[in-house]
Amino acid sequence: MTHRPYTPWLFLAPGLAICLMFTIFPFVNMIVLAFTDASALGGGRFTGVDNFVRMAEDPKFWLAARNSALYMIGVVPPLVLLPLLIAMLAQKVVPGIGIFRTAFFTPVIASAVVVGLIWTWLLDSRGLVNNVVEALGGTRIGFLTDSTLLLISSMVVTVWRGLGYYMVIYLAALANVPKDLHEAAMVDGAGPIRRFWSVTVPSLRPTMVLVAALSAVNGFRVFSEIYLLSGGTGGPGGASTTMVLLIQSVGRGLTGEVGYASALSFVLFVILLGLLLVTLKLNRREEQL
Amino acid sequence: MKLALRYAALLAILAISIGPFLWQFATSLKGPTEDVFLPDFIPNDPTFGNYAAVADVVPVWTFALNSLGVASVNVVTNCLGAAMAGYALARLKFRGRRFAGVIFASSILVPFEAILISLFLVMRGLGLTDTLTAVVLPGAIAALNVLLLRNAFLALPAEVEEAAVIDGANAWQRFTRLALPSVKGTLVVVALFSFMFSWDDFLWPLVVLSDQEKYTLTIGLAYLQGTFVQNQRLVAAGTIIAVLPLILLFLLLQKHFFRGVGEGAIKG
Amino acid sequence: MKRRTFLAALAAVPVAGCGLSGGTASNSSANGQVTGEITFQTWSLKPKYTDYVNGVIDAFQKQHQGTAVKWVDQPADGYLAKVMADASAGSLPDVINVPPDLSFPLAKAGQLVNLDESLKDAKPEYLGNAWQAFEIPGKGGCYGFPWYLNTGPIFYNKALFQQAGLDPDKPPTNFKELEEQARKLAQKGIATLGQTPSIADFGLYGVKLFENDKFTFNEPKGVEFVETYKRMYDAGALIPEALTQNYTGAGTKFMAQQTALNPGSAYDLGKFKTDAPSLYANVGITKPITNTGSANMFLHGVSVPKSSKNQATALAFGRFVTNAENQVKFAKLASIFPSTSKGGDDPYFTTDDGSDEARVRVAAAKQLQTAVNYTPVQFSDQMREALLQQLADAMLGKKSAKQALDDAVTECNRLLK
Repeated sequence: MTHRPYTPWLFLAPGLAICLMFTIFPFVNMIVLAFTDASALGGGRFTGVDNFVRMAEDPKFWLAARNSALYMIGVVPPLVLLPLLIAMLAQKVVPGIGIFRTAFFTPVIASAVVVGLIWTWLLDSRGLVNNVVEALGGTRIGFLTDSTLLLISSMVVTVWRGLGYYMVIYLAALANVPKDLHEAAMVDGAGPIRRFWSVTVPSLRPTMVLVAALSAVNGFRVFSEIYLLSGGTGGPGGASTTMVLLIQSVGRGLTGEVGYASALSFVLFVILLGLLLVTLKLNRREEQL
Repeated sequence: MKLALRYAALLAILAISIGPFLWQFATSLKGPTEDVFLPDFIPNDPTFGNYAAVADVVPVWTFALNSLGVASVNVVTNCLGAAMAGYALARLKFRGRRFAGVIFASSILVPFEAILISLFLVMRGLGLTDTLTAVVLPGAIAALNVLLLRNAFLALPAEVEEAAVIDGANAWQRFTRLALPSVKGTLVVVALFSFMFSWDDFLWPLVVLSDQEKYTLTIGLAYLQGTFVQNQRLVAAGTIIAVLPLILLFLLLQKHFFRGVGEGAIKG
Repeated sequence: MKRRTFLAALAAVPVAGCGLSGGTASNSSANGQVTGEITFQTWSLKPKYTDYVNGVIDAFQKQHQGTAVKWVDQPADGYLAKVMADASAGSLPDVINVPPDLSFPLAKAGQLVNLDESLKDAKPEYLGNAWQAFEIPGKGGCYGFPWYLNTGPIFYNKALFQQAGLDPDKPPTNFKELEEQARKLAQKGIATLGQTPSIADFGLYGVKLFENDKFTFNEPKGVEFVETYKRMYDAGALIPEALTQNYTGAGTKFMAQQTALNPGSAYDLGKFKTDAPSLYANVGITKPITNTGSANMFLHGVSVPKSSKNQATALAFGRFVTNAENQVKFAKLASIFPSTSKGGDDPYFTTDDGSDEARVRVAAAKQLQTAVNYTPVQFSDQMREALLQQLADAMLGKKSAKQALDDAVTECNRLLK
C-alpha cells in the first residue's frame, strides 16, 4: 500500500457527492414512481409491477426498443472509426490546421434546431438531395417520410454531429501516447501503418472502448435527431419511435403518465447499464489475452 | 504530394462540416427583403443590422456575463474534481474502486429529462432555487469527465510513479506534480466540454431560475422566438452570438490538445 | 413548440353588446385585503410588449396603494417544463398566464382558485364562450380569467394557384371545392396542405368530438372526413411530410412556398412580412372553411394558483389585466382580440381602412362573434399524438379510415381516466 486507506475516498469525495446528490438520488426517486400510476401533477397509488406488465404488452415499447437497438448498431462502428481517422489527419500540424480542426468541431456546437433545419432542407421531399435526384432522372426518395429511411437519415446526422466531438477525445488521447514508444518503433523500422496498429491502437484502446461505450449509450438514447427530422414525432404513424422519444411522448406536459414514463426510463437505464458492463467485460477479457 | 493529399482530405471534411454554420451566418446577414426559409448561402444585401437588433431585444451582455460566470466555475470544478476522482480510479488501489467506477458510469446513463423535476425538488429542499449556484451544481463534476480523465491517467507509464513512491512522495504530491501535468491534453478537453455544456445548457437554468437578472444567454436568446413575432434573422444572429465564444475558445485551445506529452513528467 | 390551444367544444355564443361594466376591478375579492407583493408570470411577451405590461402593472399599483407586482416573463420554449416544476413543488407564481390546455390539468388536480366561487361578479364581464373555456366540463367552476383570443383566415398562395390554372381570386369556400382545387394543384405537382387534420379540423367539418365523457370523433362523419383526406393524399395534395407535421412545421412549409394553402392567425401576416417577403407579395386571404358556420378560435388566460399566499391581490390583478380597457389596448398592439364582452365594440375592430392588416383584423373580429373553441379541453398532448399517428397509418393505407379513428378514440378515452 502506498497510501492511507481513506486517501482514495478523499480524492473521490467531491465527485461522488455531486453524482449521488444530483443524479443518483433524484434517479432513485424516479424509480419509486415507476411502481405507481403517478401523473404529472403528483398523486399516484402504488400499483406494483403493473407498469412493467403494461410495457411487455405495449407494441410501441418493443418497436422503440428495436429501433433504439438498430440505431445503436448503426452508429457505433462509424463513430469509433471515423473520428479516429479524422483525429489522425488533424493531429499533424500543418499551416492552417487550427482552422480545420475548428471547422470540424462546428457541428458539435451548432444548435440542434439549426442542424435539424439544415438536414431537413437537404433531405425533405423537395430538398436539395431530392432535387438532384430528380434532375438526374430519378424519383424523389422519402428520406424523412419512410420510417426506415428516417432512421437511417437520423443516423447520418448523429454520425455527422459526433465526428468533431469524438475527434477531440481522440486528439487528447493521441497526445497522451508516449512519444518514445513511436520513436522506439521507428528505430525498429516500422512504417506508419504498422506503427498505427502496433503503437497507436494499443495505447488508444481504453479511449476506443470509451468512445464505443459513449456512442452506444448515446445511440441507444437517440432523441433530438429523429425528433427534429420528423417534425417532433416518431415518424409517420410513430413507426420510427425510439426509447427516449417514447418516454418523452408518454410523460410530456401536465397530462403525462409519469408512472409509466418512469418505468420506461428505468428499463432504459437497466438496458444501458447492461450494455456498458458487457463492453467493459469484453474489454477486460481481451486485455487479459 | 503527400501534403496535397492531406489538404484534399482536410478540405473534404471541412466542406461536410461547416455547412450549417455558414448557412446560419448567411441568414443572420440577410436583409429584410429576403426570404429566410430558403437554403441559399449568399445574402443579396448583407447587413450587420440584425446583430444590433438582437442587442436591442435582449440584454446580451448581462446574460452573457451570467453564462460566463457559470461556465467558468464549471470549468474549474470539473477540471479539479474530475481529475481527482479520475486519478483515484486509475492510480490508487483500494477496496470499493470498482463500485465507485460503476457509480460514475451509471450517472452517465441517467436520462436528465427523467430526473428534471426530482432534481428541482432537491434544489428546493436545499433552498437553492433561483441561484446561480443551483445552475452550476448538477454539472459541477460530470461523470463523463471523470471517466475521460481516468482513461488519461491509465495511459501513463507506471515506472515514473513507482520511482516517485520510492522517493517518498505521497498520493497528493504524485497527483499534482506527476499525473496532472502529463494529462494536460485531456484536461483541456475537459475544460472545453465543461464550458460548452454549461454555455449551451437551457432547460435546467430555465427551470431553476426565476429572476431575470440571473438568466443565462441561452434563455435570453429564447426570447427572440417571440409569441406573436418571430424574426428568423434575429434568431440566426442570436445563435451566432452564442456560438462565437465557443468557436474562439476552441481555436485557442485546440493546439493544447497536444501539449503535455513528456512535458513535466520526470524522464525516468 | 408554438402555442397550441386546446379549448372546450361549446355552443357558439354570439357576441352582442351585452354585459356589465368591464371597467376596473373592484375591491370585492372574497378573502382579504388587496395589498402586498405578488408575482405575475407571462408566456413570452418580452421584449415586444414590455412597455405595455409595465404600464398595466403601474396602473394597478397606483390604484391599489401598497401592492407590488413582480413581473416575470418566460420564453415559450420550455414554458411547460417550468410550469410543471413549479406545480410539482407548489411554487407557482401568484398569477400565471396559461392557455386552457394547461389550466385544465392544473384545475383538475385542484391547484387553481375557482373564480366562480371567489369572484361571483366577474363572469358577465367576459364573453360566454371564453369563460367556458376555463371551466371543467361537467363539473362547473371557472379556473382562469379569459385573456386574449385569436382566430384567423386561411392564407393561400396566389402564384401557385395561377400555376395550376386556378383563379387566384376564387379560393375554396367549402370542403368539396378544397378537394377539387387541391387535385388540380396536385396535377401540376403542387401540394396544397401541410398537415393531416387536427381535432379542431374535425370540429370544423361538423364531426361530434366529445359527448357524455367520451370522445366520439369516430362517428360516420369523422370517417367521411378522413376518407376525403385519404383521397387528397393519394392524389398528392398533401406534402409527404404532412403525416408528421405539427402546426408550426406546416406553417414553415407554407412560407417556403411548398404548400398552397394554410390556415393561420391574424398575426401570421406580420410573420410573412418579416420571414417570407416573396410569399407576402402574393398571399391570398380567405375565410376559414367550415361546415358549421363557425370558425375556430384560440385563447389564453390567467389563473391564480391555490398555493398563492396573497390570493386577494392575485385575483384583483388577474381581473385587472384582463379587463376591457387593458385588453383592447393589448389587442391593438399584438393582432389579437379581447375576450371581454365589451372589447369587441371598439371601432378598431370594425373599421377597415383598406390595408391587409385591417382587412384580416375586421374579418377575424367578425368571425369571433360566432367562433368556437373546437378542441375539447380534455384533449391532451398525448391524445394529439395518438390521433396524428393513427391518421398517418390511414393515409399510408395501413388501416382503413374507420379502423384508424376507432383506434385513436380508444386511446384517447383510455388517457381520459
